[in-house]
Amino acid sequence: MYGYAHPNLGLGVGLRTQHFDYILQHTPPVDWFEIISENFMDCDGRPRYILDQIAERYPIVMHGVSMSIGSTDPLDREYLEKLKKLSNNVNARWVSDHVCWTGVAGLNAHDLLPVPYNDATLKHLVERIRIVQDILERPLVLENPSTYVTFRNSTMTEWEFLKYMVKETDCRLLLDVNNVYVSSVNHDYDPEEYIRAIPHENVVQFHLAGHTDCGTHCIDTHDGEVIDPVWNLYRLAHKLTGGAATLLEWDAQIPAFPVLHSEVLKAKRYIADVDTVEDLVTEDGSTQVPREKLTVVTRSDEVVEKRSIPQPALYVPAEVE
Amino acid sequence: MTDRTSTSQLDPSLDQVQRWLQTVIMDPDGIEAGIVSKEAHNQIAIAPEHVDDVIVRSQNQTSIERLQVYSNAYYARLLECLRSEFPALLHALGDETFDAFAFGYLQMYPSRSYTLANLGANFPQFLTETRPNAGDEFSNEAETWPDFLIDLATVERTYGEVFSSSGFENQRILQPEDVAAIPPEHISDARLIPVPCLRLLKLQFPVHEYISAVRHGNEIILPTANPTYLVITRRDYVVRRCSVSSVEFAILAYLQSGQTIEQSIEQAAAHSGFSLLELELHLSDWFRQWAVSGYFQEIKCSTASNDK
Repeated sequence: MYGYAHPNLGLGVGLRTQHFDYILQHTPPVDWFEIISENFMDCDGRPRYILDQIAERYPIVMHGVSMSIGSTDPLDREYLEKLKKLSNNVNARWVSDHVCWTGVAGLNAHDLLPVPYNDATLKHLVERIRIVQDILERPLVLENPSTYVTFRNSTMTEWEFLKYMVKETDCRLLLDVNNVYVSSVNHDYDPEEYIRAIPHENVVQFHLAGHTDCGTHCIDTHDGEVIDPVWNLYRLAHKLTGGAATLLEWDAQIPAFPVLHSEVLKAKRYIADVDTVEDLVTEDGSTQVPREKLTVVTRSDEVVEKRSIPQPALYVPAEVE
Repeated sequence: MTDRTSTSQLDPSLDQVQRWLQTVIMDPDGIEAGIVSKEAHNQIAIAPEHVDDVIVRSQNQTSIERLQVYSNAYYARLLECLRSEFPALLHALGDETFDAFAFGYLQMYPSRSYTLANLGANFPQFLTETRPNAGDEFSNEAETWPDFLIDLATVERTYGEVFSSSGFENQRILQPEDVAAIPPEHISDARLIPVPCLRLLKLQFPVHEYISAVRHGNEIILPTANPTYLVITRRDYVVRRCSVSSVEFAILAYLQSGQTIEQSIEQAAAHSGFSLLELELHLSDWFRQWAVSGYFQEIKCSTASNDK
């Protein structure tokens, strides 16, 4: 549509301020970085200065959290123009956001809120995606968010909704494999069915992350290692799509950069192992990915849950002498 | 409207669903209070016991419990951001009291911006607006405590703004010798153009020292009230602050407002009690220090050829 290529950039990580100095000093062999668009759109300070240097050395992808493509409020044209300007300035390979809304009536909840999956919502999103793509002059890449409620007036599954959305707009997909897993636990569906059903040819990027298992549900906290069931889903998705740029998100209890980098490099094992994807079929013959808790301690305590903040939480503190 | 008891006719529009959900998860008294609120009922009139008509329950959670995840997240996320922006205020108040103030703030000033960088923009104003009246319930000594908190919030917010604003890195700025080189015939109409990140704050407490102690993990001493004139700017992408005298502050403020150098000095003298002769003893050092500190970009005279 707009002639934009979405090459497989390899294995990347989310650029976070805690790692600025390490990256500039060591130039680690990470394939690419993803930035949170809103942290740089209005910034003329050090984060933007560092980003410009990193963009000279690495491919940059922009990932936003405030486009609010699903909101019934008008699109924020000023926001979109700033997004476009930044994408041009850092030579962003593509621009992504989420299938969600972040607020209505002029407010912003700073959360990735879910939409009902039905024809009315589909029509609303399709219209807005087309407008955004015209403004940005490139295909929009949209991610499936982790969600915690489903609506009675939904008439289709999330994966069906994504399929129709892509068909109508030719937008691209950022498949967050961890979000598929988290939502599958929260909404009692088979994550493998989801992965198998989405339009694979439109997937240009994967997200991987850790989450918090609260016992009755999971929260997308980006605060730890990727668990094995999510890696297995990634392996399946990689096989079905033929591979795409893969990015690890880690936004709470952020480790040193080498730890972060080594976590995303684990993906190599699953990429090389795609031929064994049949292993996902369990002994009883079902295709349900087992809900293991290998690296995440089950925490159902209410206090702990209240401290488990779903992403995004994206404030960049000032540096003061 | 009356509460629904049947599930057969509920088919809210996307706009109704969004306004309802936002109202419910933002309600400070919790999900059930949000569901029965007038604002929510204007969108979807439903009782808490029938919320399954809008939100489907899962195998492990009721609909209310599922909504609670968003409600918890809304306040937890934004409180976390405010704690990050106001670490010294957090230290002064303690976690529980800070959260109570922040909780009230988020209700009075919910975010209307796409960026969390603007979340705390009105926090100092909120503290000012909700400040207890003098004598209401405080002793004389304690009456200054709210002013200390307001000063803390004001300076921490300014640090955040200056950190992200336009600066002057990699640009030529006014050099000390530039001021000395102004031709005598232009002294009366020369103006100094401040760098875009220059901020001037008149405070009741020297809170900048308290803030630095908190941020850098140094010994924290609660300051006593003392009029403080703070200049805040940014150099090499790091926020810098400097306490100056009241008369220096006055000259800087007049210069920042666009007055000429001569006007600024005269007005500062008139309002400070210093004579011009007394000021002249210090002016050279002050202007030199301001140039070294990078407060000004250039000199503008009425004749363009004399611009530096």
